[in-house]
Amino acid sequence: MLIPPEQLIDGCVRTLLETVLPGIESRFARGQLYAVADVLRNLRDRLEEKNASLELEAQSLNDSLGRAASALRATGHTAAYDVGLRIDKSLAAAPTAPLSARLGALRTVMASALEALDGLSEDVTKGAKAALGGHFAAQAVREVMILKPSLLSEISKG
Amino acid sequence: MNDSLEAKLERFLLARLPGARGVKMISLERSTEGFSQETFSFVVEIDEKGGAASRRAFVAKRAPVAGLLEPYDLEPEFRVLKALSDDPLPSPPTPWFEPDPAVLERPFYVMERLPGEVPIPAAKPDGSGPLDPATRAALTPQVVAALARLHAIDWRARGLTFLGAPRKGNDAALRELARWQARIEATRLPVPAVMQETLGWLRRHAPATDETTLVHGDFRLGNWLLEETPGGVRLSGVLDWEMVHLGDPLEDVAWCTSLLWRAGSPLASGLVPPSEFHALYAKASGRTVDPERLRFYELLSLVKMSAIMLTGIRAFRDGRTPDLRMAIFDHQLPFLMAGLAVLRGWLPAPAE
Repeated sequence: MLIPPEQLIDGCVRTLLETVLPGIESRFARGQLYAVADVLRNLRDRLEEKNASLELEAQSLNDSLGRAASALRATGHTAAYDVGLRIDKSLAAAPTAPLSARLGALRTVMASALEALDGLSEDVTKGAKAALGGHFAAQAVREVMILKPSLLSEISKG
Repeated sequence: MNDSLEAKLERFLLARLPGARGVKMISLERSTEGFSQETFSFVVEIDEKGGAASRRAFVAKRAPVAGLLEPYDLEPEFRVLKALSDDPLPSPPTPWFEPDPAVLERPFYVMERLPGEVPIPAAKPDGSGPLDPATRAALTPQVVAALARLHAIDWRARGLTFLGAPRKGNDAALRELARWQARIEATRLPVPAVMQETLGWLRRHAPATDETTLVHGDFRLGNWLLEETPGGVRLSGVLDWEMVHLGDPLEDVAWCTSLLWRAGSPLASGLVPPSEFHALYAKASGRTVDPERLRFYELLSLVKMSAIMLTGIRAFRDGRTPDLRMAIFDHQLPFLMAGLAVLRGWLPAPAE
């Protein structure tokens, strides 16, 4: 998530009170809306992103980067071998806890690895890319699976 | 002086409509469909100097305070629309642009409202696509013909060189890639790994093109105005020219047939299977739909939409807009990343 949950809730409350409320005439419905705002305001400081999904991402990053490093070392290509070694070293240096620090470090290793692979020819990086692709696929599926069906069309229709 | 939006628009039109003695707003509504520029649809009654009265419908597009394509400059699209006002391509005649923010708080332009409705690019509650088979059959050739016509426009003769033509070779592709990558970087938000990998692939595979055409930039279901007539559905307007530029025509083809606009179906923009659309466009335009170029622009389509969403998320995060529609892009972005994973071959493709 790129927007912190607290900020999302603040945005919901603001929209309810400033945009929705003026359009509601029923006193009972207005009261219910205030109640929703009250619930949301009190919920905002009790929320945090679930750890389980972050742990899965960290594990997936670590595994795929490890496999990519092995693939690069196995190519026999000097520059690719060096990139593989650098990935291994970065993985070993990543903190094991707290989770947020570990995840941040692993994401940085991934970004650096991709940048390094960009400088190598595609035939040399094929195996490493396949390993990283496993992470891309798994992460994409994990993130989509937790999403609820989109209300985008209703939002557009108004 | 009445400073309501209605009154401001009345004064604006009164000063511009020749022969008008008075202009009265009959109805004014803000559209909910557009997520970028603010769109106001309105009908006015015009008292003419000879004593007659008439009603006319207009649409005003105004730059938002913050939005998906910021920073906003409405003038290029206005100049394109004005230049195309007499072209057979169904685009809204657009007579006026007002850059002075004193008039309506922010720059805006006014176009004539064309007849018809814009179908929402989403599946119906029963899971079916947004267009019924008869509509699809009638609409597809019109859409394809409109796109071919758009790409056949002599942009030099129409005075559109100000849009900036790319150099020959792969400049068109690299320029678009740079444009959207710069927008992503400007958000200062983390770039998902699958997108970073895609950006690298795109840099290495930017295709060359031997021709430069006008590119709408957002040609797809959701930007087509459809009018029901006794003879069947008619494409009465191609709307939303915010991303118009000069470039590779296959960019529009890839965008229109992208995973983004399947509307819960396997059909490109809810019309026909993508491969069929490509074949129809090739026939109508006389161009070859080169699969390598198409692949580049298919990926770029998802990058472009990601850049747009990230811009909205950044505007919301910064508190520059309270519009919650920007925040929901946080829940849409994972679908785009999954789409990139599919197009890059990391995930299996859905059946066409």
